[in-house]
Amino acid sequence: MIPIEIKDLSAGYDGRAVFSNVNLELRDRDFLAVIGPNGGGKTTLFKVILGLINPMSGTVKVFGEEPVVSARKIGYVPQNENLDSEYPISAREVVLMGMRSKKGIRPFYSKEDKEAAERAMEYAEVIDFADSRISKLSGGQRQRVYLARALAPEPKILMLDEPTASLDPSMKDCTYDILRKLNKDGVAIMLITHDMSSISHDVKRVACMNHRLIVNDAPEITQEMIALGFHCVPELVHIGSCDCGGHNHG
Amino acid sequence: MVDWIAAFSMPLIQNMFIVAAIACVLCGVVGTLVVVKRMVFVTGGIAHTTFGGVGMAYYLMSVFAVSWFTPMIGAAVFAVVSAVIMALPAVSRRMREDSVIGVLWSVGMALGVIFMSLMDRSVVTPRSFESILFGDILLVGNTELKIIAVVTIISLIVIATLFRDLQALTFDETHAKLSGINVTVMNVILYVIIAMTCVVALNVVGIVMVIALITIPAAMSNMFTESLKEMMIVSVILSLIMAFFGLIISIGVDIPPGATVSVTMGVLFVVAIVVKTAFGKITQGKME
Repeated sequence: MIPIEIKDLSAGYDGRAVFSNVNLELRDRDFLAVIGPNGGGKTTLFKVILGLINPMSGTVKVFGEEPVVSARKIGYVPQNENLDSEYPISAREVVLMGMRSKKGIRPFYSKEDKEAAERAMEYAEVIDFADSRISKLSGGQRQRVYLARALAPEPKILMLDEPTASLDPSMKDCTYDILRKLNKDGVAIMLITHDMSSISHDVKRVACMNHRLIVNDAPEITQEMIALGFHCVPELVHIGSCDCGGHNHG
Repeated sequence: MVDWIAAFSMPLIQNMFIVAAIACVLCGVVGTLVVVKRMVFVTGGIAHTTFGGVGMAYYLMSVFAVSWFTPMIGAAVFAVVSAVIMALPAVSRRMREDSVIGVLWSVGMALGVIFMSLMDRSVVTPRSFESILFGDILLVGNTELKIIAVVTIISLIVIATLFRDLQALTFDETHAKLSGINVTVMNVILYVIIAMTCVVALNVVGIVMVIALITIPAAMSNMFTESLKEMMIVSVILSLIMAFFGLIISIGVDIPPGATVSVTMGVLFVVAIVVKTAFGKITQGKME
């Protein structure tokens, strides 16, 4: 079954469409980057797929079902800046929250939940600071904690909203290393990014969104995409050696 | 000089400490959720609308002889209705939250003034505006005490049962929704619990200073704790210590208890900031 299937989709806010007639498939083991200027509709597209807003027309199917039913099968990593870093919570507790989608309402976490969270933390390389309060972690470490939360219930689809925004080059490389590993393990990945260096190195396909969507089945930005989405050269980022930083950066 | 033994043997004073203790437990726990979800002014709005309910109760009791509709029940009705209005997505998605708070806050207070002016004072003698707005814990009777205790127990059971979901909701509402939590229902539950906490707290410090009891201990606790559960426990302990300290000062100096508790909490909050800053500098110095 196709992980995500979008047909003739239009969506927006207060009756005004942000994008229209979008057609897209996220295939099994896909690794798709969505690029495009701010305000072009990338985040709105994510919200429709996740069932957070309803489409104005067209359809979205996640494993053949409506997003409202099946969005919990998707692992979602929000932008780091959108969450309250002063909240009194440890990395481990954040990751355990990911298990809610699998088990439903319960006052306590089971041994099984805790083991799943432990595995996700090892995968996302956050186990060394599992018991640290999130406010004491660096931006990159916090981002990987949210990644571990998304991975804890072992989703088949992972969606990330600018996972490397405001990260230093080594942290970006580390994040992409984890994503490549996940993709090899069979997880279909869809991410919004402004980091053009990742396109050729890491992803399998590229889509450009600016009120409409163009998809290229190769990891290359086409002339048509540049004409649609960019009037200047997109951000290029240095690719350095990976240092995931097991220590806190206060 | 106050005869403390005589003072503490008075049922009125004992009642005052019992009411304060119960309110502190509930406010410490609920205040933690209020602080982490940044709902302090939502709480202020709910607290102030209760004045409308108190006024309505006096009006119904005096004009229509509805004796069961006591000021506390009136306050609870207004608090819960305003809380549900604020929590409903139909309202919160269409209007700015602070505008909704402003409308409910002012209209609630205004209704209270109107009802109090229309009531028949020859049938029922109301508490003074000052006592309603700034609190008079000494006026809490046994019936109110039982209601406060029941409301507190029910609220704490609900919070304990839904703790994980409330934690998810207050930390990241989007993720909570994606996890299958019905965030509309959960928000309504949280707002109603806050409304009931306001009703409990206003018996101690009055409508105007409810925010102090709900916010200050939790905000202090947030400076020194690592998890939500820990923050709730420390908040309850701080709340109890500061409220008792304030009440003892109020008896000793013979000044209003509600205001004294609020000022005590405010002063100790500043002390906590100074301690936290100094401790941070000492720790930083050691690391360097």
